[in-house]
Amino acid sequence: MSYLVLARKYRPQSFEDLVGQEHVSQTLGNAIKTGRVHHAFLFTGARGVGKTSAARIFAKALNCEQGLSSQPCNVCQSCLEISSGQGLDVFEIDGASNTGVDDVRELRENIRYLPSRSRYKIFIIDEVHMLSINAFNALLKTLEEPPSHAKFIFATTEPHKIPITILSRCQRFDFRKIPLPLIITRLKEIASAENIQVSERSLGLVARRGEGSMRDALSTFDQVIAFCGETVGDEDVQGLLGMVDRRLLLDTLEGILGHDSRRVLQSVRRVDDLGHSFRQFCRELVEAFRSLVVLKVVPDPEGLLDGAPDELEELRRLAGAVELEDLERAVTVLIRTEGDLAGSSFPRLALEMALVRLAHLPAGREVATLVRQMEDLQRRLDSKAPVVERPATTSFERPVASSAERSPTANPEKPVPGNVEQVAATAPPVGVRTPPVGEVSPDGDGRHGWQDLVQLVRKERPRLGGVLEHGRLLVLELPVVELGFVEGSFHLLQMQGAELQTAFSKIAEDFFGQSISLKVVALREQDQADVPPSLAEERQARESTQRNRVRDEALAHPGIQAVQKILGGDVVQVKPLREGTDLEHKDRK
Amino acid sequence: MFARVLGHQRQKNLLQRAVASSRLPHAYMFEGPEGIGKCLMALALTKMLFCANGNSCSECPACQKIDHHNHPDLHSISPDGSSIKIEQIRALQKELSYRPLEAPYKVCLIDGAEKMNLAAANALLKTLEEPRPQTLLILLTSTPDAVLPTIRSRCQRLPFSRIPKDKLQEVLVEQLNIDDTQAHILATLSEGSFKKALGKDRELYLQRRRDLLKTLAALSAGSVIPLLDMAQKLAEEKDLLFEILEIMQAFYRDLLLLKHGSPLDELVNIDMLETLNQVSRKEDVTSLLGKLNAIMTSRRHLERNVNRQLAMEVLLLRLVA
Repeated sequence: MSYLVLARKYRPQSFEDLVGQEHVSQTLGNAIKTGRVHHAFLFTGARGVGKTSAARIFAKALNCEQGLSSQPCNVCQSCLEISSGQGLDVFEIDGASNTGVDDVRELRENIRYLPSRSRYKIFIIDEVHMLSINAFNALLKTLEEPPSHAKFIFATTEPHKIPITILSRCQRFDFRKIPLPLIITRLKEIASAENIQVSERSLGLVARRGEGSMRDALSTFDQVIAFCGETVGDEDVQGLLGMVDRRLLLDTLEGILGHDSRRVLQSVRRVDDLGHSFRQFCRELVEAFRSLVVLKVVPDPEGLLDGAPDELEELRRLAGAVELEDLERAVTVLIRTEGDLAGSSFPRLALEMALVRLAHLPAGREVATLVRQMEDLQRRLDSKAPVVERPATTSFERPVASSAERSPTANPEKPVPGNVEQVAATAPPVGVRTPPVGEVSPDGDGRHGWQDLVQLVRKERPRLGGVLEHGRLLVLELPVVELGFVEGSFHLLQMQGAELQTAFSKIAEDFFGQSISLKVVALREQDQADVPPSLAEERQARESTQRNRVRDEALAHPGIQAVQKILGGDVVQVKPLREGTDLEHKDRK
Repeated sequence: MFARVLGHQRQKNLLQRAVASSRLPHAYMFEGPEGIGKCLMALALTKMLFCANGNSCSECPACQKIDHHNHPDLHSISPDGSSIKIEQIRALQKELSYRPLEAPYKVCLIDGAEKMNLAAANALLKTLEEPRPQTLLILLTSTPDAVLPTIRSRCQRLPFSRIPKDKLQEVLVEQLNIDDTQAHILATLSEGSFKKALGKDRELYLQRRRDLLKTLAALSAGSVIPLLDMAQKLAEEKDLLFEILEIMQAFYRDLLLLKHGSPLDELVNIDMLETLNQVSRKEDVTSLLGKLNAIMTSRRHLERNVNRQLAMEVLLLRLVA
C-alpha cells in the first residue's frame, strides 16, 4: 500500500470530524432525525473545506445499516464500502470529466432502478459546475421529482456557474473557510496521532499557509513531515515555507520608513542572495505593514497580530514614528507591486523600483486635510482680498487708480496696494495681510488675521481695541507679536501698562491657539514711513480714497459735465448714496 | 542521485527524504521560473523511484528507458498547441487507471500545468485528489498563480528558486568559453534561468546591447530625427523587442543602483561603466524611476498589441525627456 497523504488519511468520517462546518452538520443531522430529508443538495465553498467529505458522510448516514441516523456507524458493510469509494448504490461522479448530456442521460437511465441493497440510491456529482448547459437542462426534470429512492448531492467551488433553475431545486449549503484555531487544533490531533513532535508556532505557520483550507494546511504539513521526520524544528518549517527572516523584513521596513533607499536596495540584494521568492518577500512586507497599521489604530492588538513580544515591541517603535496615511500608501504600492511581480520578467527590478519609490515618497498628506486647507485658504483670500481686487467695486477700479494719482486732494498715505504688500512682507509665515478696515468676513473666519484679532478685542475690551487700532503691527511670527506706537503718544502710554498687556495676551492666546510673547515698541516720528500703518490710519486712508474716487467718478460723469458747462456752476459736495449703485450728484449753483 | 541537476539543494534533500521515509505524496507541483531544472528534477525523481539498482544508475534498463523517454510507466503531457486539452487529460486518466507495467509507480509529468484549459484542469481534479495507489503526478509550472486554486490545493507544492548568479556564471564560463565579464552580464540578464542564458539571445545580450545602449545614451531631447530613426529600428525588431526592453530596463536600473552607491558587481552593464557614470551625472532618482516606469508601461502596451512604432516613439521621447 503506497503512502496516503494526510488529507486523505484523515478525511473526516463522521459529522463530528467535520471541522468548522457545524452549521452544515447540524442541519443535515436534524433533517435525518426528523425525517425531513430533501432529495437534492448543493454543497458550495472554497477548496479543501470539506464539501466532498460532507457528501460522503451524508451518504453514509443515509444508507447506514444501523438505521437512518445522523451518526453513521462506520463499521457496517455499507459505511465501509462508501468510505473506500466502492458503494454499490452510491455513485460518485466526476462532473468535470462527464460533462455531456449523454452522461446525464445515462444517469437518468440508471436512476429508475431501485437501489440494490441500501435504502437510497445516492448520486454525488463533484465539480458539478463543469457540466454543460445541456447536461444541466437534461437533469432538470429528474432533479425536480426524482424517484423516492434517489438522492442527489452536488459539490462545487463555483456555484455562480450553476444555472438558477438547478439552484432552485436544491437545498444549498455554503461551507465556510475554516478558522485558524480550528485548523491548528486539528493539526495538533493529527500530529499526536502520527507521533510527530512539533511546536505550536510551527503548526501556526503551517495552518496559516492553508488560508482557511484544511487540505492546503494538511498538504503543507505533509511536506514538513516529509522533510523533517518525526521532530519538526521551527527553523526547518520557516525555511521550507520560504519565510523571510524577520530581521531582514524589519530592516527593510526601517529602510523604507527612514527614507533610506540605499538600505532598501541592500535588503533586496540579500533577498536575492538568500534565494527567496521576491513575491513572497513582497507579500510578507505587506503583512508587516499591516501589522504597523494595526498597531497604529488599535491600542491592544491582541488576537489581531501574532508574533514574538520583542518583535511586536520593535514594530510598535516603528509604528510610533510614522503617519497612518504613509503606511496606507505604502501598503497600496506594495500590494500593486505584488500583483505586478507575478507577471514581471524582471521581478527584482520591479521590487527595487517599488521600494526605492516608497523610500522616496515625501511625507504624506491626507487628501481631506489638503482639501480643508485649500478651502481655508480660499476663504481667507475671499474675505481678505485687498480692496483693489474686490469684485464689488471693480466697476470703479480703473478710473480710481489713475484718478487718484492725478487728484490733488489724494491722501498722502494713499497707495493702498503698496501698503498691503508691505504688511504681507513683514509677516510671511502666518500669511497675515492687513486688509482694509470693515472687510471682516461675516462668518468670522480667517482666524489668523490681525484685523480679526483687533475686532475680537474690540468686542471684548473696547478700550483695548481702540488702543490697538492705533498700534502698528511690526512683527507677527508666532509666538512673537511686536506692536509699534508713536513715541510719546497716549496709546503708547496706555499699552505699556501691565493690565492692558495681560488682557491682550490672554485674548490673543485664545485667538491663535498658542502662547504669544508681546512686545511693545515706541516709534519715532521719522521711522513711521518704514512701518506698516495702523488700522486706524488705514481706515482713514481708505475712506479718503473712497471719497476721492466717488468724487472723481461723479465729476467725470457726462451729465454733470454737461450741467457744469451749460449752467457754469461749481461742484460743492459729492455725497454717495448708501443704498443702490447709482450716485446722486448734487449740484449747486 | 540528482547529479545532473544544478543547485536546488534543499529541494533535492526534501525529495530524497520523502522517498526514504516513504512519505511520497501522490501529487507534486514544482513551481519556479522557466529553465531552472524543474523538469530535470522531476525526471531524476522518477529515476530514483524506477531504478532497478535503487541509485539512479543511468545504466539499468529502467533508467535508460527514462533517458530515452520511452518508459511505459512514465507519461508526460505538455501543451498541445497553446494549451493542454481535455482529451489529453482523458487519455491520461485512462492510462492511470491501469496498474504500472514495470516500475513500482506510474509517474505522470504535466509540463506547463498553467496551460491546462479550464475543462482539462477541472477534469483532472478528481484524479488529482484520489488517484489509484502507486501513482505519482508531477505538475510543473512557472506561474503557480495561473493554476486553478483547486488544483494547487490538491498538490504538495515545491517552490524552486532562481539559480544563484555566481553558480550560473561559473557554468557559463565553463560551457561557453566566455570571459567573466560576459558571463556576468549574461547571468544577471537571464535572472537565474539556464534556458535564457544558454539560449539564442546571447549575441543580443553581449554585442548588440552595447550599441543599443550607446545610441540610447547619445539621444537627447533636441535630436528628434535620430530618435524617430531609432524608434523605427526598434519597432522592426518584432521578436526581440521584449528582450531589448529588458536591456534598457537593466541599463536604467544600473543607473539607479549607481545613484545609491551599490557595489559594482550588482550592476549588469559592467563593461560600460564610463557611459553609466556619464549618464548618471545627468539624472536624478525621480526621473530614473519615471523612465523605468515608462519602459514597463510600454511593455504592457506591447503585450496588448499596440502599434509598435508608436509605442517605441513614445517610449524614447519619455526616456530622453
